[in-house]
Amino acid sequence: MVSPITKATSRQDRSDQVSQRSSSGVSAPPKTARGRRRGAGARLAFALPAAALLLALAVWPVVQLARMSLHEVTGATLNHEWDFIGFDNYTALFDSPDFRHVVTNTLAFVVVVTVLGMVGGFLAAISVWSGTRGGNILLAMMVFVWALPPVINGSIWKFLLGDSGLVNGVLKATGITSQSIGFLYDSRFALWSVALVNAWAVIPFNALIFRASLISVDESVLEAAEVDGAGPYQRIRYILAPHARAAATVLTVLTIVYAFRSFDFIYVMTAGGPGTSSTTLPYLAYVQAFAKLNYGAGAATALLSLGVVVVFALVYARDVRRNEEN
Amino acid sequence: MKHNPRWRPFMGVAALATAGALALSACSGSGSNGDPSSSGEAPGGEDVTLTVWHYYNTDGQVATLEKMADAFEAAHPGVSVEYEYIPVDQMTTKAVTAAGAKTGPDVLVFGASGTYDLSQSGAIEPMDWFDSFADAGQFPDGAKQYVDGTLYGVQGFVNLLGLWYNQDLMTELGIAAPPTTMDELEADMAKAVAAGKEGITLTGKPGLESQWQGFPWFTSNGFSYGDAQAAPMAKTYAQLQSWVDKGYLSKEATTWDQTIPFQEFAAGNSLFAVNGNWQIAAAQEASFSYGVSLLPLTSDGGILLGGEVQNIGAFSEHKDLAEQYLEETFFSTAGQLDLLSGFGAIPTRADAAADSAISSDPILSVFADIVQKQGRPSPSPQVPSKNVNAVETLMGDYWSKAIAKSGSPDQLADELMTQLTPLLQK
Repeated sequence: MVSPITKATSRQDRSDQVSQRSSSGVSAPPKTARGRRRGAGARLAFALPAAALLLALAVWPVVQLARMSLHEVTGATLNHEWDFIGFDNYTALFDSPDFRHVVTNTLAFVVVVTVLGMVGGFLAAISVWSGTRGGNILLAMMVFVWALPPVINGSIWKFLLGDSGLVNGVLKATGITSQSIGFLYDSRFALWSVALVNAWAVIPFNALIFRASLISVDESVLEAAEVDGAGPYQRIRYILAPHARAAATVLTVLTIVYAFRSFDFIYVMTAGGPGTSSTTLPYLAYVQAFAKLNYGAGAATALLSLGVVVVFALVYARDVRRNEEN
Repeated sequence: MKHNPRWRPFMGVAALATAGALALSACSGSGSNGDPSSSGEAPGGEDVTLTVWHYYNTDGQVATLEKMADAFEAAHPGVSVEYEYIPVDQMTTKAVTAAGAKTGPDVLVFGASGTYDLSQSGAIEPMDWFDSFADAGQFPDGAKQYVDGTLYGVQGFVNLLGLWYNQDLMTELGIAAPPTTMDELEADMAKAVAAGKEGITLTGKPGLESQWQGFPWFTSNGFSYGDAQAAPMAKTYAQLQSWVDKGYLSKEATTWDQTIPFQEFAAGNSLFAVNGNWQIAAAQEASFSYGVSLLPLTSDGGILLGGEVQNIGAFSEHKDLAEQYLEETFFSTAGQLDLLSGFGAIPTRADAAADSAISSDPILSVFADIVQKQGRPSPSPQVPSKNVNAVETLMGDYWSKAIAKSGSPDQLADELMTQLTPLLQK
């Protein structure tokens, strides 16, 4: 990372170069209106493929989703004319006895995944940041965990958390509990268990991003702090944590979005159950659309979820722009 | 001709596009060109591929499909059968969306609950040709899937549930015979729990499978889709929750599909398992003697006759060949006996069902008996076709909630009725 002073100098240098170029005898010919139009046209031409792709792959599906949510669309009617039903799908969703419960589940899930993912990611980044052999081994393991497909990851955890799984085995062997704990089938624990596994799965990604941001920390600053008597906690608190703040802001938004749209671990580990104990909004949308084949209802739920994600996406975009400006 | 340098990049792109288009047209040129199979044979030595979509994934099922394909290919030179596995929960959606794009497989092997959506979406067509099938008379009406009086699928076999029991454990616990009443069942399960075993295993995962597993129990308590009332459901939920409380049934069942509970049973952990005839191959792995009996239901109770439905894809380019494939495999005596020996599927043809392979087998003969004594059509005729998926998913979800004790029996039954009643109105 470039220090603020170096960055300012560079900017000044560039501005000087520009002014020198302008003041030289070989100045660029003044642009005519035709030239400006041609320039704008070329820029538009370059932007066109990306815009077309975005329209086709991002905007059009969302428009279709919104249209679907206002119509009665089922497996039987998907390939026919759709009957317009206004906001009936939304009304049915809000009136559903499970809706509040599912929203609460979603919020709880997002909070657990985000908090544990961020704190765990930062601590893991510090652990691997030193570049020691142990740190490198830990880093390699984290990359492995990150690269594992969620279906495999979820299946492994399903076995580990089962009645005869390793976790219950250890708890019983150490006398912490005499009965197996229903991590995945007790409605008090199912959501938290899946959220913990989800947080565990996002920690490696967050750690890698945090580590990238910490690499640029000037070691002499840390050495100076150590000479001044700063302990490990203080070095983390006053040097490393502030240094990672910019990355943390962006990463928080990304982790919230990741947690909010999380589906695969729930699908593999609990299927949203028992009952709807671990059902979140994205999983509910899946059940409505692909189990009950009520695509209209699924679209309404998905659009609601999308609305929340869009809010965070806008926050993310604002932060990225702000970071770039700084 | 001299090219303007400014156009050169565009010409390059155009040349690439033209080459790509030619390559694509060359590829597609060797594909479909009308119906090459009106006689049921690959014409002029040209290879024909028949695509079959299914959701079978156990070793016995896959091996049986391959055996049937080999026999069909041997009888039809130049024809190759290509199976495509589609996960069960994606089958209907994939077929419906494929139909939207005017494509799809030659043959579909699908769950009965998807018949309405597949027929209305145009993924399958009426099976008018079945009437001219020489052996059509061998099939009972219960094996046919109708939508508004039109035939949209025929089942080559049925799957159903029975009560699997661990004979060695029963002997050890002093139980003389499998239970025939609910009181006997609960007394036997109590003995198993006292001996450190589970009483029973069944599925409690939210969704369609749990509706299928729950149907015998809630109909046994007096529930009917034709006259849906909360009281029989509350009684069923109370029964389930008391099983969980007494340790007869693990709460872990709420995460089990139909495979895991049978693995638990086959491992010797449980006295009983409510599971299907397709587990015959898996049961042979058990290190104890076992048997199957009728579920201890009241006279109101019934067992849904499941199993997959077969029909031809509406956009098949080889419809005649696809018909022949079904007639010579799923709908033939030999094919149904292959399915029987491969994974215990109970034949629907009268002649195949009367085969000695069933009557002489102690497990299969019981399942054949269950078909006669407790069998009910699936989906239930009282459920409006358009709501079959919604109703079955809802019932399954509440079965799961009851095992998880997500509410009191009365509360769950009332909540269920609030959502179920409008779905059952025609």
